[in-house]
Amino acid sequence: MPGFPIPGRPGGEHDEPLLDMIIARRALPPDAPQEMHDLARMLAALAGPAELGELAGGAAVRAAFSQAACPVGISSAARRPVRRRRPRHRGRDRSRARLAVAMVAVVAGLGSVLAAYSDVLPSPIQRLAHAAVAAPAPPGSGSDRPAALGTGRQVPHKPRPSSQSASGPHHSASAAQPSAQPGSPTPHYSPLSSSPGHRPTEPACSPGPWRSPSPPPKASAHPSPLPSWSQAGQCTGIPTGPAAAPTLNPYVP
Amino acid sequence: MVGDRLRRGTGRADTRPVIGAAFSVTLASAQGGDETAFACLFRDVQPALLRYLHVITPEADDVAGDTWLQVVKGLPGFRGGEEAFRAWLFTIARHRAVDAGRSRSRRPDLPLAVTEAMEQPMAPDAADLALEAISTRSVLALIKTLPRDHAEIIMLRVVAGLEAADVARIVGKTPGAVRVTAHRALRRLSDLAERAGVTH
Repeated sequence: MPGFPIPGRPGGEHDEPLLDMIIARRALPPDAPQEMHDLARMLAALAGPAELGELAGGAAVRAAFSQAACPVGISSAARRPVRRRRPRHRGRDRSRARLAVAMVAVVAGLGSVLAAYSDVLPSPIQRLAHAAVAAPAPPGSGSDRPAALGTGRQVPHKPRPSSQSASGPHHSASAAQPSAQPGSPTPHYSPLSSSPGHRPTEPACSPGPWRSPSPPPKASAHPSPLPSWSQAGQCTGIPTGPAAAPTLNPYVP
Repeated sequence: MVGDRLRRGTGRADTRPVIGAAFSVTLASAQGGDETAFACLFRDVQPALLRYLHVITPEADDVAGDTWLQVVKGLPGFRGGEEAFRAWLFTIARHRAVDAGRSRSRRPDLPLAVTEAMEQPMAPDAADLALEAISTRSVLALIKTLPRDHAEIIMLRVVAGLEAADVARIVGKTPGAVRVTAHRALRRLSDLAERAGVTH
């Protein structure tokens, strides 16, 4: 094709306006090169009307359109409330899930508390429960003081045979519970002072409103700074250390 | 009226252009659920879409179907005129063609040699092309011999009728690069046609 510009051939840029006209499907001027006219005719054939096979998929596409426009045979206006209802269903599901989680948490918590009071938990957990909800202390634990000591709460404790046997020779049921006789008032436990160096003038475990008529025994030369607590959770005033011979317990004979 | 034209004729479809200045009205009707208006849109764009897909993918019919399904889904939310609609549709078609190419390459039951042969543009025999008259099919076969980006830009600019800026967005080039590539492609196409004897 003489004179037809191709890339790399000189004069290739002169036909650009004609090429733009071909792309824009505009009519070429009559004096344009024949090659340009041929090219325009080819592209016109390329952009020609549809052939028979090219519209073969029309039925399927129309069916898809009618399904999308009307999925269950109702109008599109009737479908709108269904879409709006969807978030409400989602909210209901969420509230149900929250309720279920809350119920599981409550059941687990109650079960844990029951297990703690039944003293069936492992020792570390039982100790934790002992500190948190005043559950019974685990057997063989070194600390016999109830966790509610700092708050001044009274914590009832069940006596345990094993812990009683480990409380030393000075501990006895009669000494630990002097008012266990019928009709005698329950001793009142005052909270301990936690300040360092505090020496109590009287035993931390005082009988409360009911006091023994006998005066408290004299303090020994080496009084224990703090009274000790029995395994049963009652104040005996008996120090547990090695130099605990003198006692501050007014109930100990 | 359009439906009558669609149903008329049993041997050959009525292939006259169906949309002109009334495109916005037709589009609005289709968005409102009018099946006849949607068929009108389909008939207006489908030939160009299918020819474009024949150039860029061997699975043109399947990809065209997927494209229209996505158009059906997104049609209620579409906003724009005829140019924007065509650009949107051809963008979808290109994405679906790319997806089809990926899934085809992952398909284990297809031999690799067959896949490569299908992806390569088929170079028609010059003697066979010379025997054919100028037809859509013969020109399409000629365009398939061009490099992939040249063929695609010619189809989008000439067949789909998109502006250079829209084509640039679709193929990921600048409008200037699209214009230069289109010119080079047309020159090469003219040269090929002269050698093949397609032109008169």
